[in-house]
Amino acid sequence: MIAIRDLTFTYKDEKNPALREVSLDIPEGGFLGVTGPAGAGKTTLIRAVSGMIPHLYPGDFYGSVTVNGMDTFETSLAEISRQVGTVFQDVDSQIISPMVEDELLYGLENFGVPREEIPERIGEALRKVGIPDLRYRDIASLSGGQRQKTAVAAIIALRPRVLLLDEPTGELDPHSSLQVFSLLKELNEEQGVTVIVVEQKIMLLCEFAKQLAVMNGGRIAFQGETREVLAHAEEMQDLGINIPRVTTLSRALSAGTGREQPVCINLDEAEAMVRGLMK
Amino acid sequence: MNNLFGYVPGNSVIHRLNPVTKIFLTIAVCVAAFISDNLAYLAGLLAVDLLIGFAAGVPGKTLTIFRGLLKIALFLFALQILMIRRGTPVFWIITDEGLLTAVRVVLRLVIVCMPLALVLAVTRISDLTNSFVQVLHVPYQYAFTLSTAIRFIPQFLEEMNGIMEAQTARGVAFDKARGLKKFSMILPLCAPLLISSVRRTDQTAAAAELRGFRLRTRQSAYKRYPFTALDLAAAVFSAALIAGALLI
Amino acid sequence: MIRLENVSFSYRGQGPSVQNVSFHAEKGEFIAILGANGAGKTTTVRLIDGLIKPDSGKVLIHGADTAESSVSERARRVGFLFQNPDRQICRNTVREEILFGLRSVRGDEKEEALQARTDEILKDFSFTGDEEPFSLSRGQRQRVALASILAVEPEILILDEPTTGLDYLECCHIMDRIRRMNEEQQVTVVMVCHDMEVVLDYAKRALVMAGGRLLADGGVREIFRDAALMEAASILPPQMIGLSLRLGKGFEQCDSTDTIVQTVLDARRGGAKHE
Repeated sequence: MIAIRDLTFTYKDEKNPALREVSLDIPEGGFLGVTGPAGAGKTTLIRAVSGMIPHLYPGDFYGSVTVNGMDTFETSLAEISRQVGTVFQDVDSQIISPMVEDELLYGLENFGVPREEIPERIGEALRKVGIPDLRYRDIASLSGGQRQKTAVAAIIALRPRVLLLDEPTGELDPHSSLQVFSLLKELNEEQGVTVIVVEQKIMLLCEFAKQLAVMNGGRIAFQGETREVLAHAEEMQDLGINIPRVTTLSRALSAGTGREQPVCINLDEAEAMVRGLMK
Repeated sequence: MNNLFGYVPGNSVIHRLNPVTKIFLTIAVCVAAFISDNLAYLAGLLAVDLLIGFAAGVPGKTLTIFRGLLKIALFLFALQILMIRRGTPVFWIITDEGLLTAVRVVLRLVIVCMPLALVLAVTRISDLTNSFVQVLHVPYQYAFTLSTAIRFIPQFLEEMNGIMEAQTARGVAFDKARGLKKFSMILPLCAPLLISSVRRTDQTAAAAELRGFRLRTRQSAYKRYPFTALDLAAAVFSAALIAGALLI
Repeated sequence: MIRLENVSFSYRGQGPSVQNVSFHAEKGEFIAILGANGAGKTTTVRLIDGLIKPDSGKVLIHGADTAESSVSERARRVGFLFQNPDRQICRNTVREEILFGLRSVRGDEKEEALQARTDEILKDFSFTGDEEPFSLSRGQRQRVALASILAVEPEILILDEPTTGLDYLECCHIMDRIRRMNEEQQVTVVMVCHDMEVVLDYAKRALVMAGGRLLADGGVREIFRDAALMEAASILPPQMIGLSLRLGKGFEQCDSTDTIVQTVLDARRGGAKHE
């Protein structure tokens, strides 16, 4: 679905590339989690896949990005956005309208969604993110978390084939973060939407993402199935990346028992491992 | 302060007018106020302003705006009567012509500003821009710039309150300063605020592009803005206001 | 040090944000306020600093009612680190920024003393002083904000989601520095935080809020082990406590990877002896 080939990108007026020789393949229906320290190039990666780079952010662009067969360099941004939905990190700057319903209407109107379909699309998107009661509210009166959910709703109402999210849970508490990721999982599994999500909360990625990419200094340091990537826990820690405690536990149990244990990435696996060792 | 210019939901006669009609009515009031020199007629226009506010079901807000404008008006009034020397002196350096002109200027100011503020209280920004594009064929780019600018006001205020709060918490005596002093304290803090705001509008434009900004046409908006009998009545009333100003 | 007595507060035109909250904090405590979005956590810390005044009840800092003194006067003793450092930072260099904070609350002291204090804190945070805050990363800007608050040497430090938007390393930097203040100078810390791993690692006492009310007040570990309470407040306990709860018997004392590994190894050794 998405193929990035040797992408090196330097923002205009910057000396150092924000992305260096990045190559990444995400199959249709993939769910990729991206993590890494600040300044690693995560947001730039999202911009490259959404077509904002090179269309809105000029700079030196080497390599190629293909989304569903479209070369982003040659396809217009409007054309790309028909298939790719993006949720920004700074939610306030993403919101265009003063009212929740208008915010959802905006994209639906522009992309020419048939009139009779629109009310149902709005209702459905608001229900999915859990804020149907906020439909007629002023966005200025909402909390940070509610705004974040509004931004997500406005994008999923467009039913994109590819969904890009840049730290979508920044303003959310753990419970709401879980809700958002459950929604991503639902869209991914039931509608085959390809998801790329940048996230600092590594435990959410381990629980929900199928693939993981760890970025550092504009490069992809590790990528692959989530479990394979977490086998590099020690190196990741050296890069300053948080490791789920269950992963640390499984490694410590390997060392302690003197027998190599599989890498754990969630509570269920850790529980099974400990119970197995207690027998 | 925050919602002085904000939309107040409602279903009053005024709310139900076509946004274009509301703007037309506003302009008619303004034009009438500038044509007429008759004090009684001007007072009548002021009453029309207040009546519109009351009919829209926002009496509290109408009075708040009115009171706010009165303060500015009083200041202007004082300035005018001291500045104008023509005419016969009535008291000290104040002349009859000065008084008369000052009253007119102040009345006009209040008459003109009231409906401009009230329009935003009874019309959603999105309806305003959509109807302009749909009915008046205003290019969408202009309408978008306008709506973004207006949407930006509460964001800016929120950010400014946040900054003042953060500065107070670290010991800057915002909580004790008043008036001009407070203003001079806020000013240096506004520079970074403006920088971050500009950065934000860039991103907002990007967000719009990613949701089909360039595909939008005159007919894109989901809502339609037909004219009704109510609008006709308002149009006749507007015309009457101007005619009255010309005749009286 | 900090005392809230039956405090209630509602924002204009909205339902109550904080309802009848009472608690008391002693010098040197490290308290985390936990709860879902909208539970009233931020409102509570804003009440503590007097940024908002209670509708009813009292907030006392060092025995003084916040309703009767100004926030800016209190800044000498109470530091507040916000989620967004950019609202705090207003000078062109880090040195100027720190000096600005010092002058506004310790302006009565000699300029040399303030300069010396600035040098000290710059060295402590490994800043040269010439850095321009707005060209630094978010994490570094948060460190600048923290440095300028700590420079004042407050007795109480309030943190409202201080690690939002930071990566793991930046988060550790900030929190480690705060812990040091807490342990070495006995600064009282009250923190709102959504990351339960951070809460477990750093805080000692936890207040749990839901719907504006205080549901529980106690030691962090006891609080996290209370499954019914966690459910009621929509909180997921830290992973290792969650795991020990699932494992049940034998693991009641476990709250970290080390203690769980130790328990497993002990049990295996014991089991081996039996054979």
